Amino acid sequence: MVDQQPTADATERIVQPGQFYGAGLPYVGMETYPGKIIAIEGTDGVGRSTQIRLLREWLEVQGYGVIETGWTRSVLMQPTIDLAKASNTLNKLTFVLLYATDFADRLEKEIIPALKAGFIVLADRYIYTALARARVRGVDRAYLRSLYGFAIAPHLVFYLKLDVDALIRRVLRWGGMDYWESGMDMKLADDIYESFRTYQGKLLREYSALGEEFGFRTLDARQGIDRIQEELRSQIGAFLGASETPAVR
Amino acid sequence: MGKKKNLLTPTTFSLLHATDFADRLLYKIIPPLKAGMIVLADRYAYTAFARDVARGVDRQWVRDLYGFAVKPDLTLYFRVPIETSLDRLLARRVKLKFYEAGMDMGWTRDVKESFRLFQGKVLEEYDRLVEEFGLQVVDATGGIPDQQRRVRKLMARELERTDG
Repeated sequence: MVDQQPTADATERIVQPGQFYGAGLPYVGMETYPGKIIAIEGTDGVGRSTQIRLLREWLEVQGYGVIETGWTRSVLMQPTIDLAKASNTLNKLTFVLLYATDFADRLEKEIIPALKAGFIVLADRYIYTALARARVRGVDRAYLRSLYGFAIAPHLVFYLKLDVDALIRRVLRWGGMDYWESGMDMKLADDIYESFRTYQGKLLREYSALGEEFGFRTLDARQGIDRIQEELRSQIGAFLGASETPAVR
Repeated sequence: MGKKKNLLTPTTFSLLHATDFADRLLYKIIPPLKAGMIVLADRYAYTAFARDVARGVDRQWVRDLYGFAVKPDLTLYFRVPIETSLDRLLARRVKLKFYEAGMDMGWTRDVKESFRLFQGKVLEEYDRLVEEFGLQVVDATGGIPDQQRRVRKLMARELERTDG
């Protein structure tokens, strides 16, 4: 409706960790907070929550304050999102906006206060999963970049990458394919297996594109839990060690 | 949903209303437009542009947020000074609503004073919108018949323009 194009063509612009991607939250303002955001991305079934649990223990033993935040876990939006999913009434635009609302709520109520207090925020998915899902559904990229202009760029983003074949075997072993994870709303195929395969393939291509755009550190999620954890600790340790403004110790 | 207990921030307030608007646009507005009908909308995206910016969200961000909206063929802005709207609301013994009075901003505990401050900022934004989006101003301090005459004239002109 607005005559001019969205201004937030942030692909051109390098956003420093800890800064807003776009318009930000003008009423909050932006200083450099002492805390750090470490995000773990990846599709379902790559072991994100296990890795985060282990990281949390490791960081806390070293004396860091840690909070976890996870996708659709906001107090404000979780019941609404669950309800909307259960009734399959979401179209792609309301989907995008509900997710953005959930993220905004957690950003302002959990993430920013923790950053101010010098905590490490371990994010079980950040904005990228929402971006990947929306982009696969054909939502305009410039629109999404502007929408998430209030998000703060994480200090580290790890992407646990799994190919479609390995992902399918894991998901089937862990209880099967569900409607949304199979992208059945997109009507890609009548058969849930074919739909899952096509949908997750598209998602993985979006994650790769996002990885380039946002500088993900990619880890091979076919490796064992311990091996992945070791790699995460080594990279996070190096980052925190080199960091000029260490978190509370 | 979420409006109780002062739970909303300016950004989540804005996003929730955009979500609701997206839903109404897709189910209630676009189908009749496709069928060639006239849609009379009691408030549109401009309400959000004025109100959300008054709460402190970025002006361009909220315009981009509603980038999916259909631009109305005609937008009427019924303008009254704050004191008039406050008098009218109080005369009807309407209890001033929490968010409408901008009580979430925490500027003052006095509801009337908060209403004045907040709606004052909203009106400033509307004035900006009149220019930016070409809203047609209707002086709403006068009587209903006068207002209705102006509304019908503007609407007739618009219909003539688009049908002709």
